[in-house]
Amino acid sequence: MTVAGGFSGTILHVDLAAQQVRRQALDERMARDFIGGLGLTFRLALDAITPGVDPLSADNPIVLGAGPLVGTDVPSSSRIYAVSRVPATGTIGWSGAGGMTFGCNLKYAGYDNLIITGQSDHPVFLEINDDRILFHDAADLWGKGIAETTRQVNRVTGGSSGVIAIGPAGENRSVFSMAYVDGVSTLGRGGFGAVFGSKNLKAIAVHGTGGVRVADQKAYRSLRNELVEEIRNYRYLKEWQHMGMLKSFPVAPLEVYEKIKKRRLACVSCPVGCKDLVEIKDGPFAGETFRSSSAINLFTPLMYGFTDYREAARLISVLDDFGMDMFEFFGVMRFAAALFEQGILPAEENDPPIVINDLSAMTAWAKKTAQRQGVGDVLADGFAGMLSAYGEQAAGCAPALVKNMHPYTGPESALPWDLFGTMELGQMIDPRGPHVGSGGSPTYFARRPLDVFPRHMKRMGVPEQAVGRILPENENNETGLNVGALLAYSHRWFSILGSLGVCARGQVNRFYNAERCAVLYQSVTGIATTLEQLQHRAARVWTLYKMLNVREGVGRTADAVPERWVTQPGFKDYLTETSLTREQIEAMVSDYYREQGWHPDTGVPEPETLKRLALDSF
Amino acid sequence: MSRWEIQTNPDLCTGCMRCMLVCSWQYEKQFALAAARIQVSVADAEIIVSFLDDCVQCGLCADNCFYGALIKKEITEEAS
Repeated sequence: MTVAGGFSGTILHVDLAAQQVRRQALDERMARDFIGGLGLTFRLALDAITPGVDPLSADNPIVLGAGPLVGTDVPSSSRIYAVSRVPATGTIGWSGAGGMTFGCNLKYAGYDNLIITGQSDHPVFLEINDDRILFHDAADLWGKGIAETTRQVNRVTGGSSGVIAIGPAGENRSVFSMAYVDGVSTLGRGGFGAVFGSKNLKAIAVHGTGGVRVADQKAYRSLRNELVEEIRNYRYLKEWQHMGMLKSFPVAPLEVYEKIKKRRLACVSCPVGCKDLVEIKDGPFAGETFRSSSAINLFTPLMYGFTDYREAARLISVLDDFGMDMFEFFGVMRFAAALFEQGILPAEENDPPIVINDLSAMTAWAKKTAQRQGVGDVLADGFAGMLSAYGEQAAGCAPALVKNMHPYTGPESALPWDLFGTMELGQMIDPRGPHVGSGGSPTYFARRPLDVFPRHMKRMGVPEQAVGRILPENENNETGLNVGALLAYSHRWFSILGSLGVCARGQVNRFYNAERCAVLYQSVTGIATTLEQLQHRAARVWTLYKMLNVREGVGRTADAVPERWVTQPGFKDYLTETSLTREQIEAMVSDYYREQGWHPDTGVPEPETLKRLALDSF
Repeated sequence: MSRWEIQTNPDLCTGCMRCMLVCSWQYEKQFALAAARIQVSVADAEIIVSFLDDCVQCGLCADNCFYGALIKKEITEEAS
């Protein structure tokens, strides 16, 4: 078997302790069996991660990869994925990001994957410039924010590198720190920033002068042209380009967004461009500009009670610069405020007093948390750290938690959606913990009529034989919805997109379907791939991810239903909009496991599933 | 192959670099930012679009820009 395109052919091992690198030829059979990108990164993590490893120890690797379509001009094929044992949940977690050019530069430099191990004895940033690998002293950068670090690293490495950087929150190993890709995307929830920080790794810069070839140019050209034509003719394209994520989630009025909008930014090859460069035009922060993963992030504090959009944007820019997740930050702050109120935390530490919708107070607490000052030292360890430090009394004040993290949607969460679809179930089931949804499904929009589901499911590659299980009919010929079974295919669809390197955001993945992914993959790599083969490999990818966590002892208890989700007013059934019970959600979890071929009670992949997916030898 | 005058509007550019990708594939048979004859540089708030000397003004970059940041205009006799 020969891979004729798409892949760069080399895995780069980086030992930060010894400051040495080693190159490993890509195992082409492994690349095929796990597709590439997300899937191949999981597979490499299987060998690289020692079970039981402390997430913040030198031995915990960061395995990073870019899929075979990354670097081509397939629209929105910019994604990189990182896998590690993550500190927020203690599970094996993944995180994906676009960014401007990190992924394609990695491929152009000659590498499909990086495996970073060890711990430097001093702050460093890694420069990958084709074959030249340099370990730069980063003492001058330590303590600096994301924007300045990204700017300086880019300047030192020639001005056109892709850069992953951490801020003070990552340096200080906060469990809700993130690593930022090109200053606009995040290796987000789970604590990847802390994993970088624990290695004294401030940043990675990569620049490649090589290229990515495609195996079958004629087929590729035809497929690409057809896809691009569809995108160009999409009736809402201009609106997406104008409004970005605000179109799908109007957290602030368009006229407010236009007051700060300066420029839309796009990941490489993306036709939508959901990233933002904004400028505050008036008020005390007039003239400040900053990049953001999306305008809706900048307006998130409005959902927590902020009333001034400029202050909301300013706070998110502060959190971004510290390198800290906003959802977890707000969740932790509300929890801390409750602990102060109950006298569980000493009043003298409440300085300045936590006021959730006050910029000055929240800015001060962002700093205290990122720099572990005072009680911020405990807050930086997230809910698990706080519960551990303050005992059972504190547990009574805790909000709904999933794997000790703050769900981003649901009762008392930032996004007050109350219908329980695949995204809501998914934030509970993914071993990584709650994060913005993977893959997409028809339930991403509330009250979507069931008769449009089959069209969307076909696009996602749901096999015919599964449709009846997802949309079962009762004795009165009424159609129901099995959210658990649907989520299994949502995760499979995400595994396809992530492994190819295509963005899974709804604005983009709407132009893709599983069939199209199979033929694109084949044309780029030269690996003969039918739709069924791609689906089979994607099922293998997600089950391997589950196995990585089963190996760590992560069982069904990790997928427990938060009590708050089933007490009034809790989540509601997607179809009937009646309140859900714990038993109903637990049944969805079992349905999900069953559809995956995992044991419906334990979630452990069944032996026959492992055999069918050729995972039994692991 | 026709030649065109390529007009740029950096204010509309998002830095997606698709123009660079299609250029490099057309002329180098591989996708490579470093091999493109059009260069897009993203620095802080500014985006600069420039053309290298070996650009033949084929207009492929403009044809493939999703954002209207590159427009191709026919070169008139007077202009040429």
